[in-house]
Amino acid sequence: MSGKLQEVVQKQREQQNVSPVSDDEVLQLVSFVVGEEEFAIPILTIQEIIKPIEHTRVPRTPPFVLGVFNLRGSVIPLIDLRLKFGVTAKGKTEDTRYIVLKDGVETAGFVIDRLNQAIRINKQKIDPAPEATAQDKSLIEGVGKQDDRIITILRVSKLLERDF
Amino acid sequence: MDEFEEILQDFLVEAFELIEQLDLDLVELENNPDDLDLLNRIFRVAHTIKGSSSFLNFDVLTELTHHMEDVLNKARKGELQVTPEVMDVVLPSIDMMKGLLEQIRNTGSDQDGIEIEGIVAQLKAVLSGEDVHVAEIEDSEIEDTLEETESGYENPLDDEGEIDISSMSEDAVEAEIERLLKKKQEADKARREAKIAAGESVPEFQAPVLEEEKPKEEEKPKEEEKPKEEVKPKVPVKAEVQKKPVTTASAPATTSSQKSVEQTIRVDVNRLDHLMNLIGELVLGKNRLMKINDDVEERYEGEEFLEELNQVVSMISLVTTDLQIAVMKTRMLPIGKVFNKFPRMIRDLSRELQKKIDLQIEGEETELDKSIVEEIGDPLVHIIRNSCDHGIESPADRVAKGKPEMGVVSLKAYNEGNHIVVQITDDGKGLNPNMLKVKSIEKGVITEKEANTMTDKEAYGLIFRPGFSTAAKVTNVSGRGVGMDVVKTNIEKLNGIIDIDSEVGEYTSMKLKIPLTLAIIQALLVGVQEEYYAIPLASVLETVRITADEIYTVENRQVLRLRDEVLSLVHLADVFDVEKVFDNSDHTYVVVLGLAEAKIGVIVDSLVGQEEIVIKNLGEYLKGMEGIAGATIRGDGGVTLIVDVAAVMHVAKEIKSHAVSTEAITSKKVRNGPEDYTVMLVDDSKTDRKIMKTAIEPLGIQIVEATDGVDALTKLKNSEEEIDVMLVDIEMPRMDGYTLASEIRKYNRYKGMPLIAVTSRNSKSDRMRGVEAGMSEYITKPYSVEYLANVVKRNLGLE
Repeated sequence: MSGKLQEVVQKQREQQNVSPVSDDEVLQLVSFVVGEEEFAIPILTIQEIIKPIEHTRVPRTPPFVLGVFNLRGSVIPLIDLRLKFGVTAKGKTEDTRYIVLKDGVETAGFVIDRLNQAIRINKQKIDPAPEATAQDKSLIEGVGKQDDRIITILRVSKLLERDF
Repeated sequence: MDEFEEILQDFLVEAFELIEQLDLDLVELENNPDDLDLLNRIFRVAHTIKGSSSFLNFDVLTELTHHMEDVLNKARKGELQVTPEVMDVVLPSIDMMKGLLEQIRNTGSDQDGIEIEGIVAQLKAVLSGEDVHVAEIEDSEIEDTLEETESGYENPLDDEGEIDISSMSEDAVEAEIERLLKKKQEADKARREAKIAAGESVPEFQAPVLEEEKPKEEEKPKEEEKPKEEVKPKVPVKAEVQKKPVTTASAPATTSSQKSVEQTIRVDVNRLDHLMNLIGELVLGKNRLMKINDDVEERYEGEEFLEELNQVVSMISLVTTDLQIAVMKTRMLPIGKVFNKFPRMIRDLSRELQKKIDLQIEGEETELDKSIVEEIGDPLVHIIRNSCDHGIESPADRVAKGKPEMGVVSLKAYNEGNHIVVQITDDGKGLNPNMLKVKSIEKGVITEKEANTMTDKEAYGLIFRPGFSTAAKVTNVSGRGVGMDVVKTNIEKLNGIIDIDSEVGEYTSMKLKIPLTLAIIQALLVGVQEEYYAIPLASVLETVRITADEIYTVENRQVLRLRDEVLSLVHLADVFDVEKVFDNSDHTYVVVLGLAEAKIGVIVDSLVGQEEIVIKNLGEYLKGMEGIAGATIRGDGGVTLIVDVAAVMHVAKEIKSHAVSTEAITSKKVRNGPEDYTVMLVDDSKTDRKIMKTAIEPLGIQIVEATDGVDALTKLKNSEEEIDVMLVDIEMPRMDGYTLASEIRKYNRYKGMPLIAVTSRNSKSDRMRGVEAGMSEYITKPYSVEYLANVVKRNLGLE
């Protein structure tokens, strides 16, 4: 490799390294409501958000696993976050949505009551989950404070992990 | 480097293909030692591999194949008699060659690991004398196939006595072999010279040449020094070796061109898998298209474009089916690929067990999917080992029983519908059901009570239970009680069926019935309450329609007498905890499932039909849910789960079935007066709803309103109140009344609910459509308030 080329490559690398650092300070999240509480997940883990469609029950699963649904030819599990978080079940409303999350090869749809908004939050304003016990195993990644709201940020990898 | 890699890959693929054929040919050769064609073929394999490996600098492999080639060349010229003793050297050397090739495939080098000195020495011994003294060599590759051979010839080494090689170091063994070899060669040479002196013609060693008659002069001096030089494997005979492949390459080419040459292209399996996946998607698309076509046909009957649409749909469906078959065929391999290794196995086994066994193979050209070919090898090995060890008696026993000394194991493959059947039969001592039962009770596999109720067929099935072995003594070959268990699991994995038949003292026959392919299967769709499930058709033996009183209960288990068999039953609803929303009618359907050697009857509420389905997995999150093998997407876009037959059979044993419930569901609420009934009004016009309301309100009935079909359907499903009657307008946005009616009628729960159409469309064809969609009454606008009230009252039975 010629010296000049190396220089150029080096420069590019520096640029690439610089930009994410500044972006890393701010986390982009999507917030939604389940029951009475507001939750958020990193925007990049969301594959898509769809209106409720028909699903098929899968026997011998816990109640919060509603079943599977067809997302353009893929069979994807559907999980009710109300039941998963211990909130009493409620029928579908106009606002009900499925959030399809993806982490690595694992994909699943989650039923939420209402979609709220996309938010940008400074990393410094995120505190670790209140319960210090078993941090890695917790569903909660951290708690973000914005204005006078408290938003619970969920750990997507944990959401997509089978726990039954 | 890349180019080298490419050549290496080609070499390995070719070499493994050649070897596969080689094993078969060699065993055949033992039976037909004079078959020149066969010898030539075998010789060419060794030769080709030698040529390529020397080119690629695999010195050890070159060394080995070079010696094999020498021996084979001698045999092919009729200078060496192919005796079982010679084969006992040649076969392990082939094994070693395989070992080396595998090592090359894994590590890219043949330099370390496998020691070939011992076998080379043996090959040389075969080459230089008419007689072989095979020593037990410490080599994992050949340990179990080598045997001490009895020498029928005069042996120059006879005076050496037995040497305990196992106690010697490797170097010492080598030195000893070299010493013995030299001694033997000297003896040979002396004898040859004596013969020459006597005027006899002496066969010379010949290198491979194009014309067999023409001996090569320059080869002679080489022989003399060969032994000394080639004991060290890393000194190849380069000049000679590298020239040879060039000169002889044309020989195999000319001979093979006389046969019909198959035109083939090697394709990466991943590409084929990808192609298969795409076809799967296409089949799903086709199914969906056909469903839509049906719907459109119903709706726009008589329209001109329909015919065109029909043509396109049927053409696409036809082409898709053909394409699917074509792609499936690209993945098909002849089962001979698996069968090929058995002649060799039988040969080794018969020598090891000291039995005389003949293997007869039929239908090796029968084709089946690659993935299945891979899975079926192991079970067959176990079954054949079992047949040889437990089935075929020793020659003495056979003669005593008046059977021919030579036992026969036959391996037969043939197509039967969408299945391939592999049948393994031996004419041995057969299975004794009573003995099997006694053994099983002894080993605690079954209880005495179970044994008493067992049929002979069920008793045969005992051999597949884990921990069961009928062999009195555990031999090297079988009897460790794992083998047949493996057979069952592997065949079950393929959705296959095992059928055993036997007669004591006559024969044992095992039939393996395996579906042709795994990715796209035929399935039987069944309905249980409001859910649907797909059962692989391969496992469905038959379906029967029965009445509730044909079901008997024996010890808390439901059974059905089906012809001369007693079949245990299980409700699919119990297996899958299906919510009970309506009563079973007097009649119910039983799907008889067969898997491996077991059978069970599954009770379902309805049979929907047969459909081609594409298996999709449920993903990591739901992987391995008991009873579910996967899912498929149906023509209407919905997901239907595929029943895992093996798991259902397993689960069924744990479920205590209860009698088919003919009692009413208790959850139905008690109705005392009009206020306990609910009516739903579906109309997009507020005024119309108002009019209806005024007519019904005086009756004291609860009222629910909906603004269109979609709204009505949602409310119907989510409403806490049970809707008893529905008044439906026909013209509505989003979903019209006809569609709403047919949607509602899809649910068993609402099959009996009165649906009253209230509309100004009153032509005969409109009424007909209403009836077809599932409307129970038709009221035309305008109507009198009293009339509407009366109709509602009548439908609720309030009169």
